[in-house]
Amino acid sequence: MSDPAARRDPRDGMPGLAPPRPLPLKDRSSIIFIEYGQIDVIDGAFVVIDANGVRTQIPVGGFVCLMLEPGTRLSHAAAALAARAGTLIVFVGEAGVRLYSTGQPGGARADRLLYQARLALDDELRLNVVRKMFEMRFKESAPDRRSVEQLRGVEGARVKRIYELLAHQHGVNWRRRDYDPSNWDVSDVPNRCVSAATACLHGLAEAAVLAAGYAPAIGFLHTGKPLSFVYDVADLFKFETVVPVAFEIAGKAAKGRLHDEPTRAVRRACRDSFRRANLLERLIPAIEEALAAGGIDKPAPPEDAVGPAFTDGEQSGDAGHRG
Amino acid sequence: MLVIVVENAPPRLRGRLAVWLIEARAGVYVGAYSRRTRERIWEEVQGAIGEGNAVLAWSAPTDAGFTIETCGANRRIPVDLDGFTLMSFLPPAEVKGAKNR
Repeated sequence: MSDPAARRDPRDGMPGLAPPRPLPLKDRSSIIFIEYGQIDVIDGAFVVIDANGVRTQIPVGGFVCLMLEPGTRLSHAAAALAARAGTLIVFVGEAGVRLYSTGQPGGARADRLLYQARLALDDELRLNVVRKMFEMRFKESAPDRRSVEQLRGVEGARVKRIYELLAHQHGVNWRRRDYDPSNWDVSDVPNRCVSAATACLHGLAEAAVLAAGYAPAIGFLHTGKPLSFVYDVADLFKFETVVPVAFEIAGKAAKGRLHDEPTRAVRRACRDSFRRANLLERLIPAIEEALAAGGIDKPAPPEDAVGPAFTDGEQSGDAGHRG
Repeated sequence: MLVIVVENAPPRLRGRLAVWLIEARAGVYVGAYSRRTRERIWEEVQGAIGEGNAVLAWSAPTDAGFTIETCGANRRIPVDLDGFTLMSFLPPAEVKGAKNR
């Protein structure tokens, strides 16, 4: 064992080792929640130490997203290590209400940010992207001659029907989608299950948006939120993965056949559904496919641009990962 | 599926392996990654193993169902018998010269 000071910092503690470089998302496991504990770096590994001194190593580079629940403390070195490994850390409140995220820096690809911005700024291109997203979600083309606003209405009605259908299938007493992010306890169990499930999906979608090199805030159907594009991307997969899972668990809870706390059961079931749907392999291609529907190419660098003084080595992770 | 076992490895390498793999027992790392990622992890092991030694086993479409690779000096040497890999255990005296590849 080296001395404690040398164990603290992932760079100082690692003489002779290059920093760990990101893996592609499709190679990773999806998501884990960490509650209670001091998160630190020991011998270059990401470690959670609980009140009893029990240490649990987290293979940080093998996950897309770490969700830190209330009761966790994250050291500077641990945040730096997650950033090096290209893993998104999300601080979540009760049942995945997002507070803050860190660990995977975004904005690494200017060409993609500009491309995304151009698509979002031009009404026609934006409508093309929204129509494509509609088609990817419902497996049929969007009705002709509709504005983004009208498509949003069509979509809302469909989504409402899907909720009702799933509730009926699983014997869940469902009124409507109803939640208050600031007051978790007022929601009923089915709504809490849906919230917990979508929180998992949003974490993965944000990590995918960043890994692909795009901006989470520039959305197409959703706008005006820090994670607008993340909601757009998550919606492409929501009713295939997490929503049926949430209703299944809510149905079990209603029949008293659930032995675990609903939120925990939902997370577990979500992970299974992500794997079954092969979600991590499909997220980034889906993002590219939706944006490609705009029908323009990514911008070339301007002719008078100054190139980099030195070129980076081979890219280890996805396009938006640094290193 | 892949398993890496290290002996006498520097702490920095053990910590590094725990960034991607689960340390199921001291020096025993388990994970499931693509070929590319596995090769990258193994390169890190080879680069940082120092005086220690390591073995990597992974699922592969071979007759045995897996493949083995080693680095560093060890008494156990993989031998290829017409395409099927077995391990030879050397007598103590010969270890020094027997550098695994």
